[in-house]
Amino acid sequence: MSAKAPATPSTVTFEVNGRPVNAVKGVSLAAALVGDRVWTFRRNPVSDEPRGPFCGMGICLECEVTVDGRPGVRACLTPVRPGMRVETAGTEERP
Amino acid sequence: MTRHEERDVVIVGGGPAGLAAARRLAAAGLRVTVLDEQPELGGQYFRRPAPEVARVWGEHRPEGRRLVEAVRAAGVECRTGHLVWGVDDDGRTLLVSDPAEHPVRLRGRYVIVATGAYERPFPFPGWQLPGVTTPGFAQHLAAADHTPIGERVLLAGSGPFLLPVACSLLALGVNVAGIAEAGHPYRPGLRALGAVRHPARLRELAGYAARLARARVPLWQDTVVVRADGGERVTSVTLAATAAPTRAVRTVAVDALCVGYGFRPQSDLARMLGCAVRTDPATGDATPVLTASGRSTRDDVYVIGEAAGIGGAPIAAARGLTAALDILAREGHDVPAAELRRPARAGRRLERFKKLTDALYPAPAELARLLPATLPDAATLCRCEAVTAGEVRRVARTTAGDVNATKAWTRAGMGPCQGRECGFAVSAVARTSPDVFPSRLPVRPVPVTTLLEMARTEATRTEVAPTEATRAGAARPEAARPEPVGPEPAGEGEAA
Repeated sequence: MSAKAPATPSTVTFEVNGRPVNAVKGVSLAAALVGDRVWTFRRNPVSDEPRGPFCGMGICLECEVTVDGRPGVRACLTPVRPGMRVETAGTEERP
Repeated sequence: MTRHEERDVVIVGGGPAGLAAARRLAAAGLRVTVLDEQPELGGQYFRRPAPEVARVWGEHRPEGRRLVEAVRAAGVECRTGHLVWGVDDDGRTLLVSDPAEHPVRLRGRYVIVATGAYERPFPFPGWQLPGVTTPGFAQHLAAADHTPIGERVLLAGSGPFLLPVACSLLALGVNVAGIAEAGHPYRPGLRALGAVRHPARLRELAGYAARLARARVPLWQDTVVVRADGGERVTSVTLAATAAPTRAVRTVAVDALCVGYGFRPQSDLARMLGCAVRTDPATGDATPVLTASGRSTRDDVYVIGEAAGIGGAPIAAARGLTAALDILAREGHDVPAAELRRPARAGRRLERFKKLTDALYPAPAELARLLPATLPDAATLCRCEAVTAGEVRRVARTTAGDVNATKAWTRAGMGPCQGRECGFAVSAVARTSPDVFPSRLPVRPVPVTTLLEMARTEATRTEVAPTEATRAGAARPEAARPEPVGPEPAGEGEAA
């Protein structure tokens, strides 16, 4: 419950749209992205509006990103892994 | 290859209810499997922090870890990362996707649905912006991932849950810009009334309220969010009085907004299994019709925990245990009468407390009459298909109050969330009845490759995989053996 850390957490490095990002080992990918101030995880296929995580428990599917080439991965249910390559539809060039 | 497996009891959902049931049933020697789509057991209430987070910042609800350990020690087969997405044509076999997205078909002589709850959002203009989330997401980020959802955060909606979430954010050093509560529950008179019978639970709530007061977090009662603005992320929130939701009274600068109006039972799997549901008049939610033991209108299917009706984790656990004891009694196990009475009595006591707290907050059905009616035409109603309130209203005028016709015309509720987020609001805007979409297969999107793999193995399958639950040491009474899995009729269960 304390805001100050009594120890230093080990971190992992993964990739977001080709950019290296650090996160505390084992946190959810959604937390790793939000912690890096990434909020646009995808674009709505109908309206093209930016979308980010909403429910945080796997039911809304707004946090879907592409992980190691696999699309439709729910970031809120996926622990971050070292070297993971994550693509969001937020910052990369869109067709 | 599709694997086909059979158990005494299959429990869908590894939260407080599912785990309580699993532990008791396995301790009596039954072969029990718990399926959960999350990477760890515990459900939302006992969401496990990453081990590194627990090591550095301490463990959120360590009793959850102890419960999971006890469940494993009792010999329960725990399958996390397993998504139950449908029910086969026989009405019994669960269609499951494993962590590698391979299909698994699993059948239990009893099925226990412990699928929990999800949060109730009411749409408002801008609710689809990044940075607008449920309070639950903020809580998971804080408790399990030690990650603040933002630097300046507004909490809104209704219900006691907003208070602990605000406290979790404060503990992370977040500037909590305020709490907007749609009702006016925080009056000393009502609290004192509750304290007479249920001091512990109300003390907990009062403790949160005191911490928020010390941190001078503004609390606006009778207040709702009427719009959120921003571009790639929310930047401001506009509030109005609940009774006059079109007249703005205040705008607050934020970088995250967490809105939730309590919880709704996740009943789609129960409905797909054919369990009868009825609409709860206070909440408008589809709630399974159950006996006191949690047995549904299907003799072999139980619904427990929040999926059976919102009550909180202690009620959920009591319901789980009650259902387990009912199954054991039916299986001819000797269950002491005192053990049978205990969870039932605890459940009744907790239900009384729940009624009391429910009375403090506005009934969701009441808010559903009030809020969606004032939603501007341009507001997004269905997030997945980006359907506006105006489109739904226009179509609803010609579909004579049929929610499915409205859905078919507008596509509202047809996206990947299956109407879980917008369904009841679509019904409210369209003024239709019934107020829930029917449960459809798959309850979650399933990769096409999983379906193809299942279809491919359907035609030729003969094997029945040995169950992984048959572990050494767990003696199985012969009376509790499942009937053998015979060859099923060809052609069943192909993916639609």
